Amino acid sequence: MNAIILAAGEGARMGPFTASEPKVMIPVANRPILEYVVSALVGVNLRDITMVVGYRRERIMNHFADGKAFGAHIKYVTQAKQLGTAHALLAARGSSPEEVLVLPGDNIIDAGLLSDFLGRHEGTSVLLTESDEPERYGVAEVRGPNLVRLVEKPKQRISNLVSTGILAFPPSVFEEAAALGETGSHDLTDVLHELVQRGAVKAVLSGGTWIDAAYPWDLLKANAAALAGLHEVKAGTIEKGVTIRGKVGIGEGTVLRSGTYIQGPCIIGEGCDIGPSAVLLPATSLGKDVRVGAFTVIENSLVMDSAVLGHHSLLQSSVVGEGVRGAGNLTAAAGRASVEMEGEWHTVANLGGMIGEDAELGAGAVLEPGTLLESRVRVAAGARVRGRVPAGGMVM
Amino acid sequence: MCGIVGYVGQREALPLLLDSLKRLEYRGYDSAGVAVLENGGVVIQKNKGFIADLEGILRASPAVTGLAHTRWATHGKPSRENAHPFLDCSGKLALAHNGIIENYQELRERLKAEGHTFTSETDTESMVHLLEKHYQGDLRDAMRHALKEVHGTYAFVAVHKDEPHVVVAARNESPLVVGLGTDENFIASDVPALLKHTQRVLYLMDGEVVHLTPERVDVEDAEGHVVTREPQRITWNVEDAEKGGFDHFMLKEIYEAADAIHDTLLGRDIAQELNGLLRPVRAVKLVAMGTSYHAALVGKYLLENVARIPATAELASEYRYSTHPGDKPLVVLISQSGETADTLGAAREARRRGCPSVAISNVLGSSITREVDATLYTRAGIEIGVAATKTFIAQVTLLTLLAIHLGRESGALSPEAAHRLKEGLRSVPRAVTAVLNDAEAIREVAERYAQAHSMFVIGRGVNYPVAMEGALKVKEISYIHAEAYAAGELKHGPLALLTAETPVVAVAVKDATYEKTLSNIGEAAARGSPILAIGTVGDTELEKRVDDVIRVPATDPMLYPFPVSVALQLFAYHLARTRGCAIDKPRNLAKSVTVE
Repeated sequence: MNAIILAAGEGARMGPFTASEPKVMIPVANRPILEYVVSALVGVNLRDITMVVGYRRERIMNHFADGKAFGAHIKYVTQAKQLGTAHALLAARGSSPEEVLVLPGDNIIDAGLLSDFLGRHEGTSVLLTESDEPERYGVAEVRGPNLVRLVEKPKQRISNLVSTGILAFPPSVFEEAAALGETGSHDLTDVLHELVQRGAVKAVLSGGTWIDAAYPWDLLKANAAALAGLHEVKAGTIEKGVTIRGKVGIGEGTVLRSGTYIQGPCIIGEGCDIGPSAVLLPATSLGKDVRVGAFTVIENSLVMDSAVLGHHSLLQSSVVGEGVRGAGNLTAAAGRASVEMEGEWHTVANLGGMIGEDAELGAGAVLEPGTLLESRVRVAAGARVRGRVPAGGMVM
Repeated sequence: MCGIVGYVGQREALPLLLDSLKRLEYRGYDSAGVAVLENGGVVIQKNKGFIADLEGILRASPAVTGLAHTRWATHGKPSRENAHPFLDCSGKLALAHNGIIENYQELRERLKAEGHTFTSETDTESMVHLLEKHYQGDLRDAMRHALKEVHGTYAFVAVHKDEPHVVVAARNESPLVVGLGTDENFIASDVPALLKHTQRVLYLMDGEVVHLTPERVDVEDAEGHVVTREPQRITWNVEDAEKGGFDHFMLKEIYEAADAIHDTLLGRDIAQELNGLLRPVRAVKLVAMGTSYHAALVGKYLLENVARIPATAELASEYRYSTHPGDKPLVVLISQSGETADTLGAAREARRRGCPSVAISNVLGSSITREVDATLYTRAGIEIGVAATKTFIAQVTLLTLLAIHLGRESGALSPEAAHRLKEGLRSVPRAVTAVLNDAEAIREVAERYAQAHSMFVIGRGVNYPVAMEGALKVKEISYIHAEAYAAGELKHGPLALLTAETPVVAVAVKDATYEKTLSNIGEAAARGSPILAIGTVGDTELEKRVDDVIRVPATDPMLYPFPVSVALQLFAYHLARTRGCAIDKPRNLAKSVTVE
């Protein structure tokens, strides 16, 4: 069996965080989402992997190269236009004479999820999981062990079974996808429905991790879940007077300055400079070369590489992009927020700020709950910001 | 799952068909029927119940061509009307089917509009009328044309009165195999049905249509091209065939535990299945016998710990002598077969007392389902070994779901905790598989304990009833006298019986009871008893305290009954095997006890 990972999409609902990176490369607990998929495959000994890439593909190819560093053999095929999942699969036509396992590259999964599926699949099969919010996903109706249909974001309750998008197909799937493509349909769900019409598509319910992150605030939940499985590593320099509780990962070359208090699970990348007297609270990830100033408190947040958060800042349930610079006294406290994304309004119970890459925030800036700054936004010292600021915008 | 057989030859078809059908009874039995070609017509006889029930009403026939069907309802209740085979409007054509026709509604509407009369609610009946529509003197042509309009999974077997020495069949996804005889040919859902008559078989592939006469077997693919395929010679016997490569049904069924959990969980909506019944639930009484009673006891711990609802478990035979002060509890009646006489009696008693009642059963439409307000079905598939294994696991699966559901309803269980528990439950098949992969180690351990005359099985909390079930398995199949005790009870008397000749099997997994169980193990070890512990993988401390360890993966504390039960089932199986016992048919025991 060969694995085909669909990783060509942009992920527009991620807002500023896919400005220079495809969604699959967004770091969660300091690893790109796609890396979780690759590890899960290697974990069940499926090492021959074809990645369908497109948007910002060089970012993916630079990271994974031939896959050797991850214990896999990775080939790449390019999908020039992102028309749909079946169309993406067709890009990998000819890559496998055997059965194929098709996986979306933008969900966090573990090997357990796949081993359950591989032990139980038969012919065309779809991997299902249960969800408390099925209305967000493709919901499955099953009869006995078979799939009857998938309904995308149903208005009426069908079941709590949702498709993970992970599918097993016989090699003939490429012909099916091609034939359907002729009729103008490019979605794998349509291929599944076609196969349901003609015979059985097996439904497999699996345990194991499956975390879908569609919107930036979903990254926080994903981050917290991924940190739960954190391995403790303590490299770097830990000065006297630093308190560390719970599971904490600390990268090479990082300095934790005196008086700093860390309550795990937290992960801190390489080359960071934290404190003195900084406070990191549970479910916080800091990328590489992040600087956190004195008396700054960060809780349940995801901070990407090279960000700087000056002294006396408060950051709760926030996502901070690469290279963001906060001068000091920045406040992004969490609260109930309404956020507009792709023309839809979402209410999020507990959200701070979402700050796109290379933003510059002057001293004393305040971001109200749910504020979204796109890339390269500049906020003047002492400014109060709410809502959404477009890329390159300036707030006085 | 259903079973079909067909025969065309020189001998009397009826006894042959019936005998072959019995070999497929493992595929299910809730109704059965036969169709034979006799005196220029089609004669159909069918009945609800076991194949023996059909045999009881059967009138002899000189027919030499026919087909038969045994049904195991998964959708649609078992009844005489829904039993196969089906006749077309003219009464000339009969058909049996195994599988699901996905587009039967549409076919049914269309055929009704064309004037066909339907007598049942089954999907199969639409195919009979479709065949009738396409029939122009050649059953095979009719089959080929009809298949073009049918979507779904199927094995079809059909006969027509105008072709008295022909059986036509087709398959897609559902199994079908041809048996080649001399001046006679057979077709069946599985090899066991054929083996008494022939060892030469021909497996059919998806989309193929086969035409059988006494002299010839012709296979064609969907486009009508002739298929040539060499027959295969079957070298195993009937029993082996049914056991799918395992030495005993019990072992096969232990290995089906992971599937039983998966299938029982898939697409489950407890709220809907309970049909708005019984809200709020203030107390639960679980009532059952035998292994199901042990599932009930596990359920008691689950309901109290997970749903925070007071729960008691009671033997069905004792239920009528009990009273329930205070509120009327929800009565949950557990019976694998749904025919257990004691449990049926308790169901009626619960109704008489005006208590809401729910049955947990593995058999669709069984007697108990008519005595209760709602039924939750385990989907473990048919169980043949007398010692219940996978059905116990499936019962505990449903009870866990019920506890989660009631916990959510009462608010005792937070959404996050419910989510975590459900996620753990979905991963349980993996934990069970890990135990099964360790079967060889369990066999070696069991061989060392097989000479014991008597043993004790101890556990605490939710694993106490699991110990009881383990002891029952040991008793049932290995005839070793095994007693289960709550680990803490040991020192209140039974300790006097412990010697170097009475091993103690202790469930000592890493949950809140671990430390206390360890000290109980110490008490037993001090009497010189050999100790076998069921422990959690990675627990190196345990090894120092006991003689042998069987390991199970770490799970949520409330979910340990799954891997631990499977480990104990395997242990009991290998004890019995080492002692040379009749594992699938232990002395004095029957699968379901239908007398009080």
